[in-house]
Amino acid sequence: MVHQQQLRFSTDGRGTYNITQQISDVISKSGVMTGICQVFIHHTSASLILCENADPTVRTDLDAFMKRLVPDGDSLFKHQDEGPDDMPAHIRTILTESSLSIPINKGKENLGIWQGIFLWEHRTSTYKRNVTVTVIGE
Amino acid sequence: MLFQRTLELAAHNQGAYEITNFIADIIKESKIHTGTCHLFIHSSASALIISDIADDSTKDTTADFMAQLAPSNINANENINNAMNAIPPAIKHAYSQNELTIPVSNGRPGIGVWHGIFLWEYKSAPIERKLTITIMGDPLHKSFRLTR
Repeated sequence: MVHQQQLRFSTDGRGTYNITQQISDVISKSGVMTGICQVFIHHTSASLILCENADPTVRTDLDAFMKRLVPDGDSLFKHQDEGPDDMPAHIRTILTESSLSIPINKGKENLGIWQGIFLWEHRTSTYKRNVTVTVIGE
Repeated sequence: MLFQRTLELAAHNQGAYEITNFIADIIKESKIHTGTCHLFIHSSASALIISDIADDSTKDTTADFMAQLAPSNINANENINNAMNAIPPAIKHAYSQNELTIPVSNGRPGIGVWHGIFLWEYKSAPIERKLTITIMGDPLHKSFRLTR
């Protein structure tokens, strides 16, 4: 059994956005009890991560770490036309994930207790981000 | 429905090679309309990366960043004879992905407008690579709903 649906999220600047509930809703709607949920983001400057959902400072620290690893406006970067945050956004996306696969058990996403699914916006402006969710199972 | 194929890819020099059309052809051949396509590279010194295809400098800069992260003269382990050649690709591989899953929508790769699927070869000497593609899904048309 296959169920596929597209979701659209609004982001308001760099940071992580919890999308666990929206993914969970798609799984419920699919009627799949056992299987896999595949989440894919259609962009090269925003990505997906599984991260701790208890303390939000974990995610602000992750962003601070990324900012140090891939500095905005680094003179190393040749691709500067779209602003100092654009090339770092592409690299941040490659260092994280464009797609995630999550097991489905008893009709629900089988995540760890402290795991959440986050959309990580790497650009500093406001964007609309498209995500395709494909649920395959029985 | 399940479709799987393992392919031998010709040896390439270090760099990024776009394989989007090649993947699209295999999805077409599978006759799967809605589902997922899993790509797996049988190597620990290359990666599968989705990258921006609008501007080539994005790809070049990513390569420069990776080279800065794992410089070719890194001396990680003097006991390994070919450490100079083996360690930087291993580090770059660990920081990227050797498997990738994309949606299949309307019998095509359901990826972004500016997305290209690239095989990144991290080894400096050309080497043949094996790629396994597994496509799962439904051959029938399914409604594609847009929400929110």
